[in-house]
Amino acid sequence: MDVELKKKLYRTLSEVFETMFFTILEPLEEPPVPEEASGEDHFEAVIGYRGDREGTFRFYFPEQLARYITFNFLGLEPDEVTERQLLDTVKETANMAVGSLLGKLDPEGRCQLGIPESRRAVFPPPWLAAHPGAAAFNSEQGILWLVYEAN
Amino acid sequence: MAFNILIADDSETMRAAIKKVVTMSGVPVGEFYEAGNGKEALAVLENAWVDVILSDINMPEMNGIELLGEIKKNRVHANLPVIFITTESSEARVEEAKKIGAAGYIKKPFLPETIKKILCEVLEKAYEQRLSEEMGGGRQGEADEDMDF
Repeated sequence: MDVELKKKLYRTLSEVFETMFFTILEPLEEPPVPEEASGEDHFEAVIGYRGDREGTFRFYFPEQLARYITFNFLGLEPDEVTERQLLDTVKETANMAVGSLLGKLDPEGRCQLGIPESRRAVFPPPWLAAHPGAAAFNSEQGILWLVYEAN
Repeated sequence: MAFNILIADDSETMRAAIKKVVTMSGVPVGEFYEAGNGKEALAVLENAWVDVILSDINMPEMNGIELLGEIKKNRVHANLPVIFITTESSEARVEEAKKIGAAGYIKKPFLPETIKKILCEVLEKAYEQRLSEEMGGGRQGEADEDMDF
């Protein structure tokens, strides 16, 4: 991933995670091999944008991180969180992060955000380790992976 | 006096989080109403008195900008304040929202204090507006007769 984009992405993600979920993220300069997390349940959130430029961001949340940000966000006890709330929170996180990033990269508003989607996903996707747009961020609840693809 | 608040956002979780923040902020709330998009929000307005709408922009079916456009076209609801709470954070989008008559604009991620500050400012203006409408006609036909400060 381009270094400048990665810096902006990190600042934006930190803002979202600290403001909304009281969670600290740390960029990993040398990401671990994604296969180390193979078998752990993950949630995938995908959001695209269109306009002068087009692209897609894919987020991979370990379930522990998804659960932690969800109960923080909603003020619930950890065991009260439902599957639907987990899916909705990771989707909304992707929406906030990419929307906020786009506001910085495209202040004229020539690009428009798509509607985000989320699902439980098999992790890691086979192409992740070699993807040039991949970046990883550490948290106390596991590693958040993010993949950017310009269309 | 308590205010009725309509939250329009396609994310059920975001609606719950906004409701939590507003409740914690100490703003006196009568009823919370919820809608998953602009169309659902308009349907709520047909049946309930609402003092302010907190709306996302990026929603399926009918987005927040379209919702505000419909509200402005409606004589009964034209003065109903709409505050956008949205990820659409480009300056151009903020200007567009102001131009079409948004009462406020809050960018996600948001601090609870930001919601409280803007909501209080908007409700204060809305209250003054309602008083003047009640003197000269307008939305008073739907007003809650028990409301008093």
